[in-house]
Amino acid sequence: MSTLLEKHIVELLLERNEKAISLLYEYYGDTLYGVAHKVVRNDELAQDVLQESFVKIWKKSDSYDASKAKLFTWLFRITRNTAIDKLRSVNTKTDKEIQMDVSDVYNIGVDSIRPEFMDVSENLGKIEDKYQIVLEALFFQGMTQQEASDELDIPLGTIKSRLKIGLRELRKIYGTSMVVTFILSLIL
Amino acid sequence: MKEKIRIFLDTDLLEKYLIGTTTTEESLQVERYIAMYPEVNKTYDELQESLEKFAKLHAIKTPEGLKERIIARMHGERIGRKKFFRYAIAASFAAVIFAGASFFFWNQSQNLQQENAVVSIQIEDLQKSMTQQMEDMRNQFIVLNNPRTRKYNVNGNIKAKELKAVAYINPVKKLSYINVSKLPNLPEDQCFQMWAEVNGKMVNLGIIEEAQDKDKLMALPYGENAISYITIEPKGGNQSPTIENKVADFKY
Repeated sequence: MSTLLEKHIVELLLERNEKAISLLYEYYGDTLYGVAHKVVRNDELAQDVLQESFVKIWKKSDSYDASKAKLFTWLFRITRNTAIDKLRSVNTKTDKEIQMDVSDVYNIGVDSIRPEFMDVSENLGKIEDKYQIVLEALFFQGMTQQEASDELDIPLGTIKSRLKIGLRELRKIYGTSMVVTFILSLIL
Repeated sequence: MKEKIRIFLDTDLLEKYLIGTTTTEESLQVERYIAMYPEVNKTYDELQESLEKFAKLHAIKTPEGLKERIIARMHGERIGRKKFFRYAIAASFAAVIFAGASFFFWNQSQNLQQENAVVSIQIEDLQKSMTQQMEDMRNQFIVLNNPRTRKYNVNGNIKAKELKAVAYINPVKKLSYINVSKLPNLPEDQCFQMWAEVNGKMVNLGIIEEAQDKDKLMALPYGENAISYITIEPKGGNQSPTIENKVADFKY
């Protein structure tokens, strides 16, 4: 996909070239902001999370191992963990909930997908809600299939099959933004 | 083998690893499976692709100015670090200077302590010497002012006609002094030495040096029927008097 771009950014990161952060922000900023928003569900907190994540990315850039994960996977892990930490610290501060449970962090359901944020909603629309919910539980909420089954009150077998279909549907989608990224990576 | 892979894939460990929620141990296990089984590796790659795609579907336009804030914050962090190093260097310098100053003052304090000890000893010596001299003066005063004190004029014999001395003896206070007022000149290699025979014992009273001892009372050891002599001895004094060279004597 965007391997060339990835390589270029990784090289810049290792060179401690600030252009890396600029490029990362251009190509992954919106996506990572979406990830942060999925967890904290608050514009201001999501912005804080993104800031902190980028600082961590910059600081920890030498810990990235391309043989173990794609660049995006690494960025996603940092952002999601930062977001969860942020949410926990906020909740502890406000004393609302000291004991956090993963299922408390997220609000599962179709209403959690806020269409106003989706600039690729046409693509998202191609995937049925029932598959999206399972994908979201897996990717954003970090649930196991068993946990998703318990939480959504859907049999484990159904979860498994919906996940399989969801992933298959996802593979069919080639977002325009990705094509642009790919072309840009060729130019760079 | 197929079964083992199927069981592994069923555990959700790969998914947990994907989003970074595995423990270190679990991560190692997953990484081992990915490295060993191409099927697991393929599933992992597909999951990575799917994750990226799915996340991109949920992308939200970042607010204006956020990028600038992030870049500014990164600069801040780096400046912070620079500042830290600058402070660290300054602190190191301060520590070195402090250590140097400490050593300097410690050294000075040691020197002062040494000086203090020396001065203390000097003062003590001085005090002792003062007490001694005061005692001496007091005795001289007692002897000279006492009506019972007898005065003897001592004259030199033929060998030293010019010799003149006055002795003061007080049998009550048992004190005796002599004042050698004039001594004849002697060759360079000779000197006058004074002795006293007290209770049958010969006591060496030392060399008389005219310039120094003139008008000064020398204490004599007191004894009944004591005899004092002045003899000419080789320069530096002698252990026992050379009787042939006696120039003066007196009994008291």
